[in-house]
Amino acid sequence: MEFTLLAAAATAILFVWIGSKLLSSEITPDHPTDRLIGAALGGVVVGRVTALIEAGVNVLTRPGDVIIIRGGIDTGWAAVAALAIVGWSLRRDLPLALDGLAPMALFGLGGWHAGCLWRGACLGTATDLPWAVTSPGTSVGRHPVELYAAAALLAAGWSISRRPRRPWIPTGTAIAMAGAIRLATQPLRLSIMGGPVGWYLAAVIVGLLVAAVGHRVIRTRPPSPSTMEM
Amino acid sequence: MVRIASWVSLLLVVVACGGTAATTQTDSTLPPVDLDAFVSALAADGRPTVVNLWASWCIPCRSEAPLLREASTRFGDRVRFVGVATEDAPSDSIAFIHEFDLTFENFGDPAGAVKAWASAPGLPVTLFVLPGGEILRRHYGVIDDQTLALGIDDIMNG
Repeated sequence: MEFTLLAAAATAILFVWIGSKLLSSEITPDHPTDRLIGAALGGVVVGRVTALIEAGVNVLTRPGDVIIIRGGIDTGWAAVAALAIVGWSLRRDLPLALDGLAPMALFGLGGWHAGCLWRGACLGTATDLPWAVTSPGTSVGRHPVELYAAAALLAAGWSISRRPRRPWIPTGTAIAMAGAIRLATQPLRLSIMGGPVGWYLAAVIVGLLVAAVGHRVIRTRPPSPSTMEM
Repeated sequence: MVRIASWVSLLLVVVACGGTAATTQTDSTLPPVDLDAFVSALAADGRPTVVNLWASWCIPCRSEAPLLREASTRFGDRVRFVGVATEDAPSDSIAFIHEFDLTFENFGDPAGAVKAWASAPGLPVTLFVLPGGEILRRHYGVIDDQTLALGIDDIMNG
């Protein structure tokens, strides 16, 4: 039963929705929640069909299996499809839209980490610190590392939303901060596989490059009327 | 129309998170599990034990199999790993073990006796067992890296 994952995903969506309500509508694209939820649902459909194909089910001859589930959802293809749908829906002004969505993306990511409360997966390495949380059934105190990450992501999203928006800088900063927060909390996590640390590092580098290029563009271009208004 | 599509998609998500159907077989080419002996062996073993209930028809079981193999390799003799092929066709179970190169011990449980003992609503299920045989924790559904690592750390230090 994967309802705990569903609850974690719902928590992420809830945080995005709250973020969209808290932030000024001037710095977000039109209907941000609709876009994100629509992308999520589209991703679910693609992920479901992909999982069926991977399980050897022909969805053309057995379309009912899309609803009568046995194979779950391929989360990788679901994520790719969701991102593609967001990109397509924002294609007319992608940089501006991405900059507006960047804080909410961090809120959503923070919500996903906070969803550990539903999954019973908040705890990390052992610690004697006063706020250590005891692992159920044991006397071992542990870092609530996923809640650290959630709090840091929410603070990062809030911080980005409060700053004047300049093209690409919120997007780059959000990518870099998401990677940096994950890297910073990684030593406190318990892991068998070690985690994709290389991808987190890549996110930091790419994010900084995006922000730097954006900053460079701002410095070399004369201010446009639309930039002045921001 | 958009609203209908949204509800259908939402229904899809909810149903996708549900349990899976089972196929019952009456024999197995894996060592057949005897529940009493199985429970006694868990109690007699001085090591913490991870018991994973799986089936070849269970797609989430396929996604977690590489993680369990890696964990069993990493912890070696410090933690015992036991797989129980539950309500599965024998030939499919053997193919599953070969496909994922599972080197830890596995038993066949075509009747689902261990599943019933573990009060498992579906598959997969992972049990974290303390030295002495007490079940510290039951994890229902596919297990992720962090949850497995936490469970192992708890039974090693509990």
